[in-house]
Amino acid sequence: MSLLTNLIEHSLDEGYAEAAARRAARPDPPGSGGTTGWVLALGLLMVGLLLATAAAQVRDRAPAASQARDALTAEIVERTTASDQLEADLQLLRASVEEARAEALSLTTTGSEIATLLTDLEAVTGAGAVRGPGLVVHLEDADSEQPTGSEDPRADDQSNDGRVTDRDLQTIVNEVWVAGAEAVAINGQRLTARSAIRSAGQAILVDFRPLSPPYDVVAIGEPEQLQSRLVDGFGGSYLQVLRDYGITFTVQTRDSVLLPAAAGIPVRYANVPVTESTSAESTEPAP
Amino acid sequence: MIAAAGLVLGIVAGLFLEPTVPLWLQPYLPIAVVAALDAVFGGLRSLLDGIFDDKVFVVSFVANVLVAALIVFLGDQLGVGSQLSTGVVVVLGIRIFSNAAAIRRHLFSA
Repeated sequence: MSLLTNLIEHSLDEGYAEAAARRAARPDPPGSGGTTGWVLALGLLMVGLLLATAAAQVRDRAPAASQARDALTAEIVERTTASDQLEADLQLLRASVEEARAEALSLTTTGSEIATLLTDLEAVTGAGAVRGPGLVVHLEDADSEQPTGSEDPRADDQSNDGRVTDRDLQTIVNEVWVAGAEAVAINGQRLTARSAIRSAGQAILVDFRPLSPPYDVVAIGEPEQLQSRLVDGFGGSYLQVLRDYGITFTVQTRDSVLLPAAAGIPVRYANVPVTESTSAESTEPAP
Repeated sequence: MIAAAGLVLGIVAGLFLEPTVPLWLQPYLPIAVVAALDAVFGGLRSLLDGIFDDKVFVVSFVANVLVAALIVFLGDQLGVGSQLSTGVVVVLGIRIFSNAAAIRRHLFSA
């Protein structure tokens, strides 16, 4: 405590008292007033410079944060545009490859058989665009934005009830498959056997591409059968539960829907064995 | 008069020239500001006490800033930089408050 008391009682630099005592003992020689002013001015100049520099520093730092944020946002937009462009290019190139392949295969009988097989496989795997009658499940987040008082998206964990989640989309897509769908897409993102519906923060990602609400789950299949199986089965009761949370949905049959091809179905580890003998060789243990 | 001109000149220079503080010096800037404020309040109080001395003021200002920066620097090297910063701020803060109280008593007699 004595330390604190000492600190409080002797808050003034003792140099002042000593200097005053010295002055009292030995009166100022006349003529030193000029240098006095300059020393003080120099000191105050340093004080002002320091305070103003610190203020400028603080002022500059706040925009720096938002500048970084703006730069990141711009980069996201730029990269997304580039990615969209690349995907469009990919679709064009793939179309020309398919055209060339179809032309080459149509020259022989086996070739045209293979072409038919290929088209079927592409339709089933999602590698090719498909058209046909089907069903559209339209899901929309709850209208009423509950006032949370916070604009920070990380902060409002409480008001997520009226929001469509990745789990909801997973369940509905699975139920649509169960109902007999032959091909499914969400907001134009074709689903393949390896598609993932995930969420990152509040965004729902399909194959790592973010979706924005409302969500359209489009399925190709026999429309009446799809609708009745979906609505009567678990999917229907699940949609009713979603309705309790304020999520609105419609299930509509369509005479013709067009599903795009999936962006890519990369196979990294699996290889198609060329013949039986080569695959047998490759599984043989090394001597 | 020259002193006031010096203060204004310093502030103007700092605001408009915006000297870039090197990165390694930036952690010490807040502490230096607190130390400078302590010296300024000490100077004001001594002025009102009638014992102001310009040499003591300038020396105490420079010494305060340097010692505060040195303490924080040492703390950073030893891994207790934030604790020592807090210590410096507490000590200087107490001094600033009690000097401000003395100034208040001088000015308002309350």
